[in-house]
Amino acid sequence: MKKVTGSSHRLARMRSKNRSGFNSEQASETSFRLMPVSHFRVFIQCMFCIGTLILGFRLTTESSFLKASFQNPEDPFTRISARTDSSASTGTESQFDLQLRREFANGSKGSRLAYNGTIVHSSGGVRVDVGRHAILIRPWPHPDPFEVLHAHHLIKRVQLEQRQLYGSKESKPIIAITTTFVRTFQAVHLTGLLHTLSVIPVPVTWIVMEAGGVTNETAHFLSLAHVHRLLHLGFDIPMPAGLNERSKLEAQMRVEGLRYVQKEKLEGVVVFADESNIHSLEFFTEAQKVDWVGAVSVGLLGFAGFEESPQSGIVHVHDGRVEARENHILFAARQAAAAPRFEPQVQGPSCDSNGNLIGWHIFDPLPLEGEVHKGMRAAQNRRLEWANFVLNARAVWKTEGNQPEWIRSWDEWANPEDGSTPDIKAIVRSDQWVKVLGNCGRKVLLWWLRAEARADSKHPNKWILDESLEIIVPAKSTPWPRRPVRRAAPPPPAPAGGTGTKHGAGSRVSSGKVRRPKRKQDQTNVS
Amino acid sequence: MVVGFLLLLLMPSSRSATSISVVDRNVVVGEMGDMLQLRKRRRRRRGHVSLLTCVVGFLFLCQVSRLAAAAVLHRHQRISGSAGDVLEDNPVGRLKVFVYELPSKYNKDWLEKDPRCLTHMFAAEEFVHDFLLTSPVRTHNPKEADWFYTPVYTTCDLMPNGLPLPFKSPRIMRSAISYISTHWPYWNRTEGADHFFVVPHDFGACFHYQEEKAIERGVLPLLKHATLVQTFGQNHHVCLKEGSIVVPPYAPPEKMQSRFIPPNTPRSIFVYFRGLFYDVGNDPEGGYYARGARAAVWENFKDNPLFDISTQHPSTYYEDMQRAIFCLCPLGWAPWSPRLVEGVIFGCIPVIIADDIVLPFADAIPWEKIGVFVAEKDVPNLDKILSSISPEQVLEKQRLLANPAMKQAMLFSQPALPGDAFHQILNGLARKLPHDPHIYLEPGQMVLNWTEGPVGDLKPW
Repeated sequence: MKKVTGSSHRLARMRSKNRSGFNSEQASETSFRLMPVSHFRVFIQCMFCIGTLILGFRLTTESSFLKASFQNPEDPFTRISARTDSSASTGTESQFDLQLRREFANGSKGSRLAYNGTIVHSSGGVRVDVGRHAILIRPWPHPDPFEVLHAHHLIKRVQLEQRQLYGSKESKPIIAITTTFVRTFQAVHLTGLLHTLSVIPVPVTWIVMEAGGVTNETAHFLSLAHVHRLLHLGFDIPMPAGLNERSKLEAQMRVEGLRYVQKEKLEGVVVFADESNIHSLEFFTEAQKVDWVGAVSVGLLGFAGFEESPQSGIVHVHDGRVEARENHILFAARQAAAAPRFEPQVQGPSCDSNGNLIGWHIFDPLPLEGEVHKGMRAAQNRRLEWANFVLNARAVWKTEGNQPEWIRSWDEWANPEDGSTPDIKAIVRSDQWVKVLGNCGRKVLLWWLRAEARADSKHPNKWILDESLEIIVPAKSTPWPRRPVRRAAPPPPAPAGGTGTKHGAGSRVSSGKVRRPKRKQDQTNVS
Repeated sequence: MVVGFLLLLLMPSSRSATSISVVDRNVVVGEMGDMLQLRKRRRRRRGHVSLLTCVVGFLFLCQVSRLAAAAVLHRHQRISGSAGDVLEDNPVGRLKVFVYELPSKYNKDWLEKDPRCLTHMFAAEEFVHDFLLTSPVRTHNPKEADWFYTPVYTTCDLMPNGLPLPFKSPRIMRSAISYISTHWPYWNRTEGADHFFVVPHDFGACFHYQEEKAIERGVLPLLKHATLVQTFGQNHHVCLKEGSIVVPPYAPPEKMQSRFIPPNTPRSIFVYFRGLFYDVGNDPEGGYYARGARAAVWENFKDNPLFDISTQHPSTYYEDMQRAIFCLCPLGWAPWSPRLVEGVIFGCIPVIIADDIVLPFADAIPWEKIGVFVAEKDVPNLDKILSSISPEQVLEKQRLLANPAMKQAMLFSQPALPGDAFHQILNGLARKLPHDPHIYLEPGQMVLNWTEGPVGDLKPW
């Protein structure tokens, strides 16, 4: 601009000098000299016009940014690429439109790049930087394992303090008795249980009874548990397929476990931690409150647990005889009137308003399709699960004198003379001595996940498939239509074990007829 | 204990010089002997047996309580020193507040128009008015009042989405001030130096939600001498006048106190935060909102399992806070946020990421001992900073937070309880007494310029 004005001054002087004679020539001369000046001016104006068209109306910001950016070119920590806010207005990529990231090394060096031109100063000496700031990102924005470890130590210490301040003062050791056997879903259930037992803050003695003898598969799982004491006992009888037989065998196995407790005179709280149960940690703190015998509510998940509201009502069970359902009509009417909603089935104690035990909610299994019902439900179906009960370990000791007289002695209830299966509820002479835990049974602290594979389903050992599969046989029941496959020779029989389909529709190529499986309650109904 | 014993004996002796109810020299402790020599002549024997039993009982109780206290783990810790005492001050009797009767167009009409004013985070102005109307510090005689309160609701002009529009607020305030200056002589007496106003909006009495515009406007000129009770606090900022009282934003006490979970629920979340990181509506590229700090938190820690941060607001927000050890309280468009109040109530240590922020009741609450302050430029190292705090410090901060006086001080409880935020405001006002005699102007002397400020503000309302 200075150039322009200077030349115009010169022009004016020249014009004033050459006033008289040479008008025509000098007029042409001056007019000639005017041309480059105006061209230049026009050129500058055009450039600015184009510039503003491209960049929007913030050209001054960009120019001040350029100035700022060239001031510190050697800063090792900055890779300056400027993001301007004009791109929002124009929408086109301008030459200055680059990403702004200020990345720096681990130190806290990172003075903010205040390239904003809007620092406002006022009388108070404002240090406020109003305007766009950089988003500071460190070079490797991922968790550092050492920091994670420190943080976990901190969390653990805080939780320890919480337990000391607000937790229950009692810390009796827990004795968990579990029955298991090798099957498809053992991994699913046992892994959950072993992790639950590993994080309980009190010492845990885990007694695992395995049907079919001690196996390596189960031992592999048990080695992952962090419990105070682990006992892996084998029961030589293999687990039968039928549900009733299974429950009988499980009862016998649990009695064996209790016999171990009795023999070793273990102290603490006995909990029947079935592997298909999901326990909340609160269950183990509630269990500490037991005096001799306690009862908890068990919720039921899976298999007909949700389709209809429970129709069990309150059943009063006196010494094995089932009394008539009271208030059944009213109960059913209430259920019908209530809005259809998710009603999980719960099995456990029920109390009156004073908190005294008056009866038991019992799981009443809904009939499956196609199941042949004899029309009569045997009384033993109304048994409560062992998981509903929590015992003081001393209740199974053989020494007399410690136990109150309303606890039956070991020989009476654990070895019944008539050969029937022992029932845990028989350990007390009457219901009134059972202590109800978990806010009088209203709080469900553990859930029974009734999801099992078919009894004859095959699964690879440790759920690991060998790479070299010799023969792969397609699953029999697939949703897509079967195409007839022409083969030269009939397919060879499938090898036993090793390869396998995980989902239970095992290869039945070898057997000619299709065996219709007996519908058992451990069939997968969960979609 | 010995000191207590001495004090106990000295007290009656100081009050009544003639009748000192001690006693046999055999019983009295040796150190007392010299003191008693002086008063020997005026001594008279009293019923020393009763006093002795009192003293012995007192000593016994001291021992027992000390043993009992040692046996119990400290659940909460009193904020020691003068700060702790200040929290528990009782303002009643230390100051008198006169509440002006303004026409309802300044206060009640706004409430009738939009009752949401009572539940949003700027509701402090309504609740302070409510509290002062029935408080024992209120006086109906303005001549004996120390402070004058003007109930004008400037943050009650709500948009349909619930956010307040501050554009009319300067005019409303001016109109209120001109009303009180014409109907009562007390404004003109001091040009407002013994008046206080509650302005809980984003930037206080600057009356704008955008920081640049708020700084441009500055504090309303008419409020130059008045005391402002506001939520905004930032050092070296135009909108924080010297002598203002910074209060927490309003958080509904009943809603929070009904959502407590049992204290033995283990705190398993390390860092918790729910809120926006990028304000896509107003600042799509980032960098303006929160000065880039919230975006930095997201970019650096979005895949860190220790940081439970997200924009999804769950229904278990309060319960989750009680399961977390640290709660982030970064700045947003303004440096303050209700997260601080929520963190204090739920025992979650607040991590304050806002440079130069002034926290509520900073002269009464030692925030450095309770919270963790992280500079905005240190945000990328947040995980290192937080995991390197020693466990003892963390436990101490949690103990200080568990102090019920601390939680009470952050709440505007209904009805007002001793030690709550209303009382802390009154304590703050009481600490500013007695007024400097220079504030009283000569009659006719005018300091404030009533025509100062943007032209739009001068229109009458």
